[in-house]
Amino acid sequence: MAESQVDKDLIRQLVEGDISEDNVTRLQKMSRKDKDRFFQYVEVLQEKVPWDEKILLRISDKLYVVATQEGDRIVKCECGHEFGDYRENWKLQCRIRVRKTLEEFKEVYDPEPACPEPGWQEIREYFCPGEHAAQLAVEVVSPGYPIVFEMLPDLDVFYRDYLGRPLSDESSQWYKDQTTNVTQSWRSRREAH
Amino acid sequence: MALDYRGSQGGKTAAVPGHRTLRDSVEERDRTTAATGHYYGVTELTLRDSDPIKYERFYARLHSAVLAARESARFVAASPGSREMGECLWGLTTPEGDTLAVSLGFLSHTAIFPVSVRYMASKDYDVNDGIDDGDVFAVSDGLTGGVPHPGDFYTFVPIVVDEEVVGWSVGINHLMENGAPVAGSWATFSVDTFMDGFVCPPMKTGTKLRQSQWWKALWERRTRAATMNILDDKMRLAGCAMIHEATHRLIDEFGIDYYKRAIREVIEESRRMIVDNIKQTTVPGTYTGCAFRLVKYKGLQNIWSHADKNTLIHVRGSVEPGQEGLSLDTEGSSKWGYHSYNATPGGTDCAVFLGMINSFGHNTKVTAGIDLAIERNYPSGSIYNPDNEYTSNANLWAQTIAINSVGFNAVNRAMFSRGYLEEVFSVDGNWGAFQGAGTTEDGTSYGFTNFEWLGGTGRGAYCYKDGEPLIWAAWSQIATIGDAEEFESTVPPLFYLGRKLLKGYCGHGKYRGGVGNSAVHWIVQPGKHVALTRPNGGLSCTTAVGVGMSGGYPAPSSFMISARGTNMSEIIAEGGETPRDARELLEMVDDGRLKVENLEIWKTDCPELAFDENDLFVDAAGASGGWGDPLEREPSAVIEDLNEGWVTSYDFVKNLHGVVATQNKEGEWQLDESSTVALREEMRNKRRQESVSVFDWWSNEREKVLKKDFVPEVNQMYAESLSFDKFDREFRDFWQVPEDLVFENEEE
Repeated sequence: MAESQVDKDLIRQLVEGDISEDNVTRLQKMSRKDKDRFFQYVEVLQEKVPWDEKILLRISDKLYVVATQEGDRIVKCECGHEFGDYRENWKLQCRIRVRKTLEEFKEVYDPEPACPEPGWQEIREYFCPGEHAAQLAVEVVSPGYPIVFEMLPDLDVFYRDYLGRPLSDESSQWYKDQTTNVTQSWRSRREAH
Repeated sequence: MALDYRGSQGGKTAAVPGHRTLRDSVEERDRTTAATGHYYGVTELTLRDSDPIKYERFYARLHSAVLAARESARFVAASPGSREMGECLWGLTTPEGDTLAVSLGFLSHTAIFPVSVRYMASKDYDVNDGIDDGDVFAVSDGLTGGVPHPGDFYTFVPIVVDEEVVGWSVGINHLMENGAPVAGSWATFSVDTFMDGFVCPPMKTGTKLRQSQWWKALWERRTRAATMNILDDKMRLAGCAMIHEATHRLIDEFGIDYYKRAIREVIEESRRMIVDNIKQTTVPGTYTGCAFRLVKYKGLQNIWSHADKNTLIHVRGSVEPGQEGLSLDTEGSSKWGYHSYNATPGGTDCAVFLGMINSFGHNTKVTAGIDLAIERNYPSGSIYNPDNEYTSNANLWAQTIAINSVGFNAVNRAMFSRGYLEEVFSVDGNWGAFQGAGTTEDGTSYGFTNFEWLGGTGRGAYCYKDGEPLIWAAWSQIATIGDAEEFESTVPPLFYLGRKLLKGYCGHGKYRGGVGNSAVHWIVQPGKHVALTRPNGGLSCTTAVGVGMSGGYPAPSSFMISARGTNMSEIIAEGGETPRDARELLEMVDDGRLKVENLEIWKTDCPELAFDENDLFVDAAGASGGWGDPLEREPSAVIEDLNEGWVTSYDFVKNLHGVVATQNKEGEWQLDESSTVALREEMRNKRRQESVSVFDWWSNEREKVLKKDFVPEVNQMYAESLSFDKFDREFRDFWQVPEDLVFENEEE
């Protein structure tokens, strides 16, 4: 398969999970990946989501960094729920359910000896507050562990240096983890009460 | 095949005053690379560009030499681990130890080659003693050799031309036994390097492509599987001799000047390709992951009181693809400890390079280019770079595989965002094995390792389909669990009653991981003594990685069961059913068919377990992780799982996936579509009801953090990880806790 010849419909099949094994193998065996994949991928995704904001990046099954008309870059769920500035860990705007006991672990791990050890580990499930309550992430970590910020993309470098199509609103402030702003505000909120 | 020994032509390095030393070569390599950003200062690929056919012919000859070494030598002489399962590798390096070409097999072991050679250079091996063409060096030390664990043994043979080392042929394999207090090839429960077994810093053990006689004596006296180990030693050297011979012929044909230039260009070319692949397939940014591993030594280390404690190892990694490659920072990971899971920088590289070579080295020459394109930070004092020269690294691999998984998953997240979904799957890296020693009735002692669950593991779910069982191993391109009969022959009293995929043993999600494996070993005629332990990459008290993919659950880790004092003789005499996997064994115990006097389930390292006639040892390993929201699993896939036996319990999948089904008269499961829709909506409501906002959760948890209201091992883990500034800052920023909140470190 030569470069730049991956059919957009094949990418749609990959996204939907109904691609054939043969086509997967063909894609995996490409010596060099098709360079325009990202833009075709975004086209497929843009057609799939029920909203119009421009997708800048897909960061998990259901979450996207999008550009808003107001000039912000936010995390938005496929369902339409907005999580806010993409530089703040979106998990902090989720609903969370924590499994702490063996009985609760056994509902997701089987057989029983395969379950993590209560006290040493807990299972955190992060749900979208939107209408589908989708499970967006799972962490199996020790109690007290800071929520993991799985991915903070450097969008400006990506579009400018990796893709050769710079974004119009480049700024040195875009690639900065701002999660602490949220926890600081939470602390203030608690202290105010 | 006659091996053409060239020592007389090569000359001994120390023979000529003022000759170019290894130290000179390493210094020039580092200086020119740092100054130009190109390997050895090679800014133009002049040989490749001026005559690409000649250049590729040159490399093809190098590559075919190492490939041929592997495919011949392991059939000359080898233990089952190397012959059957291919737990081995051959390579050719530059004078400085930078990899030029490797065979199939353990390809990330390229990471250790420069560590060993640089140690020899720094200690003037070539100046004081001299290095002669065809000398033989042995290496298995983590600190001086970079070896990932002493069970991996290396043979180095220098290629000397005109009194100058111009390359090294290298062979490695995983031994069946390496002579530690804990028998086998991963000395679990080691407290320091002196308990790691037969550990060799780089040392000359032979000349003229022959080992010295005294070397054989060491295998015989310092390990428990001398026959196997001597076979493997011959295998490694046979392969090295083939590469040595082929390289000399190549230099004769192409000329030494061409050779010296071409080997630099080869590495620079692959470095460029890897950097290009990183830019082509990833998204720059910061990707963070973590994992945990429990070390349960409390109560088991009475002799070495300083090690008599439990430790929760924290594995922390962040990956940043950038302009000239990719960087990995492990700051925040635990400090080193008095246990067998410490790493060394070389050993950590060996793990980290697994995912990186797989992801970025697939379409180029596998060389030291990966080393140049991946920047690593292993802070001093951490588990990856201990500031103590005597730490044990006997079971390094059980822990470092988690940092590889963290890095590998970061790359997969990046490729997902970039749209190359066909490459993207959930990485866990669970492996298992067992090891031990025994004495037969006639007094013959033996040691052993059974590698089977290291040879093949489940592959995690892709982002568009389920993972598969057994077909993957992060550390080898050729996953195979080997023949059961091979392992039965090496461990006389252990017989397989079953060797199966373990239903439902995986991380679940929209797509589930490939299920793990389980075997039941029956002890028959144990002789005077047989006992075993089990090293594991991941133990089920923690998951293999801490962060799942897109709402899927990470894989469960390994566990084992010892059933001692059974009624197996009665069951067999009556022709009854015997258990074939961990689940069947537990069910048979529950319903009374199998009677067991002492049943123990091990979710942490088991101490040495001695077995008698009719005892059973059961293990489970190799599970892999899921991808995506389990409520979005295609209902038909759940029905298929039930009907094909991939899961065991309808209630389990109903409550996990929200799928309602009924069984017809033939026992076949059929989907109830309308009830499924209703149940899924009900489960979404349940999610809303049973969850809280993260702000509310944070507010409550913060109180626990302030009170340090956790089990002692968790508090200890935070004490260690907060001693590194980066994690300390993140922890305090996240919980908004003051500087004077200190988790006490028991050791200080």
